[in-house]
Amino acid sequence: MKLTILFLLAACLQVSAKVRAQQMITLSQKDAPLETVFKEIRKQTGYTFFCRVEWLQEAKKVNISVKNASLEQVLNICFRDQPLTYTIVNKTIMVRPKEEVPKSSAGAEPPGIDLKGRVTNDKGEPLAGATVIIKGSTKGVSTDANGQFELKRVDGDATVVVSFTSYTTMEYKIKGLQFLDARLDLSTNTLDQTVVIAYGTTTKRLNTGDVSTLKSEDIAKQPVVNPLAAMEGRMAGVNIVQNTGVPGGAFTVQIRGVNSIINGNNPLYVIDGVPYPSGLPSGLGSPILGNANTSGAASVGNPLNYINPSDIESIDVLKDADATAIYGSRGANGVVLITTKKGKAGRASVDVNAYAGAGKVTRTVKYLNTQQYLEMRNEALANDGVTADPGYDYDLLSWDTTRYTDWQKQLIGGTARYSHADASVSGGSTNTQYLIGGTWDKQTTVFPGSNADQKGSVHFNVTGSSIDHRFKAALSGSYQSDNNNLPSLDLTSELRDLPPDAPAPFNPDGSLNFANSTWTISNPYTYLVRRYTNHTKNLVSHGELSYEVLPGLELKTSLGYTDLQTGEYTDAPTAAIDPTLRSFVPSSADFANYDYQTWIVEPQASYKVKLGGGKLSALVGGTIEQNTSQGQVLQATGFTSDQLLGNIQAASSIVVNAVTNTQYKYGAIFGRLGYSWMDKYLLDLTARRDGSSRFGPGKQYANFGAAGGAWIFSREEFVQKALPFLSFGKLRASYGTSGNDQIPDYGFMSLYSSTINPFLGSQGIYPYNLANPDYAWEINKKLEGGIELGLFKDRILAGASFYRNRSSSQLVGYPLSTVTGFTSVQANLAAVVQNTGWEFSVTTKNIAGKDFSWTSNINLTIPRNKLLSFPGLASSSYAGSYVIGQPLTIFKAAHSLGADSATGSYVFSDVKGNPTFNPTFPDDYTVLVDLAPKFYGGFENSFRYKGFQLDFLFQFVKQTGAIFISNELPGVEGIQQPVAVLKRWQKPGDKTNIQKFNEDYSLDQAWYDYAENSDGGYGDASYIRLKNLSFSYTLPSSWEHKLHLQNCRVYVQGQNLLTITHYAGMDPENPSVVPSLPPLKVITAGIQLGL
Amino acid sequence: MLPDYKFSIRPLIVVGLVAGMSVACNKIVQIQAPPTQIAASTAFADNATAASVLTGIYDQIQGNGAFAGGLQSLTLLGGLSADELQLYSSTGFSANDVGYYKNAVPNSSTLLWSEPYKYIYDANAAIEGLKDSTAGVSASVRQQLTGEAKFIRAFFYFYLTNLFGDVPLATTTSYTVNNNLPRTPKAQVYQQIVADLKDAQNSLSPDFLSTDAVTVTVDRVRPTKWAATALLARVYLYTGDWASAQAQATTVINNTGSFSILANLNSVFLKNSREAIWELPPVIPGENTLDGQTFILTTAPNSIRPVALSSELVNAFEPGDKRDTVWVGNITRVGKTYYYPHKYKAGFVPGSTPTEYLMMLRLSEQYLIRAEAEAQQNDTADARKDVDVIRNRAGLPNSTVAADKDSLLAAILHERQVEFFAEWGHRWLDLKRTGTIDAVMPAVDAIKGGTWASYKQLFPIPLSDMQKDPQLTPQNSGY
Repeated sequence: MKLTILFLLAACLQVSAKVRAQQMITLSQKDAPLETVFKEIRKQTGYTFFCRVEWLQEAKKVNISVKNASLEQVLNICFRDQPLTYTIVNKTIMVRPKEEVPKSSAGAEPPGIDLKGRVTNDKGEPLAGATVIIKGSTKGVSTDANGQFELKRVDGDATVVVSFTSYTTMEYKIKGLQFLDARLDLSTNTLDQTVVIAYGTTTKRLNTGDVSTLKSEDIAKQPVVNPLAAMEGRMAGVNIVQNTGVPGGAFTVQIRGVNSIINGNNPLYVIDGVPYPSGLPSGLGSPILGNANTSGAASVGNPLNYINPSDIESIDVLKDADATAIYGSRGANGVVLITTKKGKAGRASVDVNAYAGAGKVTRTVKYLNTQQYLEMRNEALANDGVTADPGYDYDLLSWDTTRYTDWQKQLIGGTARYSHADASVSGGSTNTQYLIGGTWDKQTTVFPGSNADQKGSVHFNVTGSSIDHRFKAALSGSYQSDNNNLPSLDLTSELRDLPPDAPAPFNPDGSLNFANSTWTISNPYTYLVRRYTNHTKNLVSHGELSYEVLPGLELKTSLGYTDLQTGEYTDAPTAAIDPTLRSFVPSSADFANYDYQTWIVEPQASYKVKLGGGKLSALVGGTIEQNTSQGQVLQATGFTSDQLLGNIQAASSIVVNAVTNTQYKYGAIFGRLGYSWMDKYLLDLTARRDGSSRFGPGKQYANFGAAGGAWIFSREEFVQKALPFLSFGKLRASYGTSGNDQIPDYGFMSLYSSTINPFLGSQGIYPYNLANPDYAWEINKKLEGGIELGLFKDRILAGASFYRNRSSSQLVGYPLSTVTGFTSVQANLAAVVQNTGWEFSVTTKNIAGKDFSWTSNINLTIPRNKLLSFPGLASSSYAGSYVIGQPLTIFKAAHSLGADSATGSYVFSDVKGNPTFNPTFPDDYTVLVDLAPKFYGGFENSFRYKGFQLDFLFQFVKQTGAIFISNELPGVEGIQQPVAVLKRWQKPGDKTNIQKFNEDYSLDQAWYDYAENSDGGYGDASYIRLKNLSFSYTLPSSWEHKLHLQNCRVYVQGQNLLTITHYAGMDPENPSVVPSLPPLKVITAGIQLGL
Repeated sequence: MLPDYKFSIRPLIVVGLVAGMSVACNKIVQIQAPPTQIAASTAFADNATAASVLTGIYDQIQGNGAFAGGLQSLTLLGGLSADELQLYSSTGFSANDVGYYKNAVPNSSTLLWSEPYKYIYDANAAIEGLKDSTAGVSASVRQQLTGEAKFIRAFFYFYLTNLFGDVPLATTTSYTVNNNLPRTPKAQVYQQIVADLKDAQNSLSPDFLSTDAVTVTVDRVRPTKWAATALLARVYLYTGDWASAQAQATTVINNTGSFSILANLNSVFLKNSREAIWELPPVIPGENTLDGQTFILTTAPNSIRPVALSSELVNAFEPGDKRDTVWVGNITRVGKTYYYPHKYKAGFVPGSTPTEYLMMLRLSEQYLIRAEAEAQQNDTADARKDVDVIRNRAGLPNSTVAADKDSLLAAILHERQVEFFAEWGHRWLDLKRTGTIDAVMPAVDAIKGGTWASYKQLFPIPLSDMQKDPQLTPQNSGY
């Protein structure tokens, strides 16, 4: 075939310059010959055409009018309805006649054209792995590394659907097109937002597992210093309780209930791929920071206090087997993945944010005033037929009974001040991105005095890649220094021991008033003179190296190191010691330091391949991890001067009260196989083989695995036809196992430890534990099914999941009778604990206008915990605590019949229903009180009008809690009581729930039985709380430009602003007989600037 | 370009590499004992370490609460339960302790129950560990330490069975056994105590040994043959084996090379006093005894030091009894005089060397044991002589009570009351074992604000342990 060269390549240097502008063709021709159009294209792009002249004569005239169109778009228009077609080879466009399509006959291939194309994002960058399918069929392909694809024999009238993770799905009518240039915009649909999963990412749309996500935007709405506080009420299945309002205090986190009878129910925290501690060592055991009571080991405060919320890009909570099984032994209680902010390619941007505000306690208790208190005391004396005794009744005889102090107002009625500033610079090129940020934060307390928690942190992230993007390296790190100065005790717990006529705390000369040692427990201000400081430094770092060996095959190594160092100090200067005790109790200072280090190496290989019309992705990897924990607790006495209490060298006596040095080693291999066919049928298989040093020889290894599948049925043609309003529909299910090794180290070894103090200069040793070499992994089998729906173009997104987790081979510190010399031994218990639950979430775009929009979001969790089986429960140590078929969170209580109307003493129902004054355990303890929430959730609304944005979140919990706010007998000396006790029994015939006042302790057991061991002491502790309110105004962009700002936002935010509850105690979030400081209601105002 | 392989060998190579790597991981999860502790297997590897195991028990006794003195101790709670001590401030003091004073002891857990079992476990572990350690520990050290362990086991079973009645008898370290023990009848517990003490008597050194269990020293801080004998004398007295009690007490009394009754009451409780058969040094720097710190009043009784001597005790001293002035202190506040035990005179003196050790067993008890055993055997003349040794030392003339057995026994009981007050709950145990408790306590409880019932002479078994070991039922009757 003779070819006529019609146009010759005009080889000139300008071509290359124009090549860059190849996508930008501007043409306007009417009835133009094809030849003319070709010339114009060559002029604008530098591309040359090869074509036989005679073919052009058969060509139709072209009508075209495009502006900044791509070459392909232009060519597609030119070749539309032409007898010709083209291919692009390098810079040359080869034109040839269309092959004669054989007229269709029986058994022949269907007619159609071969559609080629390219998928790019809004910046023109190719999207590899995008899915292109023919609408209404199963035929489809995914794009290659250059974003290109080819579909053979496509019906000319077909529509293709192009989709890609996190981008809006687009549909294109082919109409004879041969080259499709599909450009996708980033999606604003939550279904398409990135969801971080184990060792990778996906979207909500394509995820086979169950993951709840909290984004940085939602964290930024909340003036909180612990990321856990930002999660409260926002995630289905995630129950977070703030245990105290003290800055740096403890949280209790439960994902899908209590799986483990005794041991840790803490989730696994992973920050940028590096495991992070879920509990802190008890250190000085300072009670002010509170205890996270789900942890097996003593834990004070919470380690996430040392993670800066403003550094976080997203928090993803993995809940089901499919999502968690790849974490194997540690995934039983869920996994919390924290991803920090990363720099993005583009111009350098500077973000500055600052706020200030104030906080008060959410709720208070109504206590007796002096008059009421004296009435109670005198009535108690009269009831017991005694007169006030100078030996006991100091509150009546020694104190000035005309005094009145509202101790609650004095001690926790202050205002906490909040100030916060953070700034970051980020930017980069396509090959290198960076982010550097810093934060300063200060929070004072509601206690008297100048206590404050101050934090400073820096955070950086650098990502670099080779020019061909095959080799990548990333390094990120954050370092925080936290200096927390607090009283040595949460003064809320002292309120009980402060009657309203208690003496003035200070003498006229400013010294502490010890009132001749008559304080019930002590002058509360001694805890302010005695300081507690906690200085914590936290380093979290992560590095990642990856290399794409072959297309689709990537080798990666993830490296991590964390180092959490805590130094604690508390002292008791002479000024804080009762003068009469000073000869016995010297001034002292306690020092504790702890260092918790983790390093981890995780080599991984991932491989993606097209197989059988779908996409297969495989991941294999290994983990080597080591945690070490070291610490000492020292007590120093014998200081020559109280000025030197901070200097341990000035002490003449130093006692090492505790020393720990533990090591935890962990090794694993893991793999995941995912297959996606047309983004419609998804299958995910994960497996892990784990080894942990917490188990004895032969018990160290175990296998875990899971299978998850999803069917996006909204992609089925019949569904689309039958349910046109349904824009998204997914059914998913998963089943698998994960484990729990949250037990103390070394439990399988029999150990001797050194005594604390020397015995005539020589140390002794003593048996430290009971060893059990036979215990092994606790196994958690998780089953889940879920449906996710999008209605009316995803304006309504609804999800429902049902889960059933069964936890067996319970690892417990098996409680033993003290006859064994110990109180427990580490063991597996053949008990099965089941957690089932329903989780619902609905997100609606109620109004989505240009100026005004309103979205709502509700989540609801209905959990149910049940002890499924427990062989030998009746004869075990747990016989008194648990009942088969009932939740673990129950306890047995007697049924209260209130105060006996004849005698005024509490009376209870015995097992036969007869009244008894002494209910006996266990027979008469017939009522089961369940303290777990019945349901909980959150209701969130977001309104936007032009630049104004209003968000609020209501959190609700339905639960039962301890309602008595005093565990001491009303009427005894020196004990303050809530006003509720005034409804007491006074004379025969009175019917009430408060027994008569008593001061000789003869009714103490009855009170104790009532308040703590009967159903009378427990009641509704449900609440609805306006958890978060955020109002902001973003300046119009025209103003911002004049101010040379990228972005300017001013805001007012509030946390815990309103609580609706019947609860009589301090705060329903943490109902307790001995109250701790409630969470604070906080209001802040701030400004955010982008430069 | 994404490769469109139908099948590829390459992923398998990677899988193979990772799998190979994991083989190396097997060693990665193995750990050694932490640097802060030692494995049990090495605790009996040599003489010094093995000796430190027994030292560890003595150290813990002094470091904990129930047998070292203080607010949770047998001395204080036993004194409150009987007619020795009066509780003043109840605040800062848990309801449990008010329970002892009012003889309404709650069935909550108590150190008086749990602490002995901890030491018994340690003793059992030592007995087992020493038996297995044939190479590292020398025969003489093994003999001495095994004797000490058996002595300790007997010492704590003595108190357990006297306070709680029938108690589970743990003689191994196996928790599977010990967590399912029933209560053993008191008589059988005593059989074990006697057997252990006889073994201890035969194994223990007659000399006071240092913390290495080898070197002879002046410190009377490790149990000796004499300690085992003295405790055995007491056990025989409690079980009514008068002849044996007399014989054992005599053995101790006759060791005049080691022990003697000190003429000066002020010297009895000093460290390494010649009256001490066994004592324990303080382990907290600057401390002497917890009893000294708890009892010596510098103000009216308060939440830190809430007790003073009862009027029953103060009135029990005969005129001229020097114990009333030397061993009893007093302080007057707001017109009221409070009397307190003043046997120990030193409290906490930061930076000082202790001058007083906690008296565990002392010689004067042996005289009164022998006196009682003799009286029970109608040897009233010898009995009277032994009582008079104690009386004369207190500045009192010879006893003038009638020479009949019952009068003499009553006189001995009284002598024990004023000699051993605020020591080891002697009074509480004496009232119980002599059967006089039901006669004494109703009047005492009327003053204390409680109501006496005979069942109250046994404390209840802690409910929490009964829940964990259902074999422990039934509870002591009355509770």
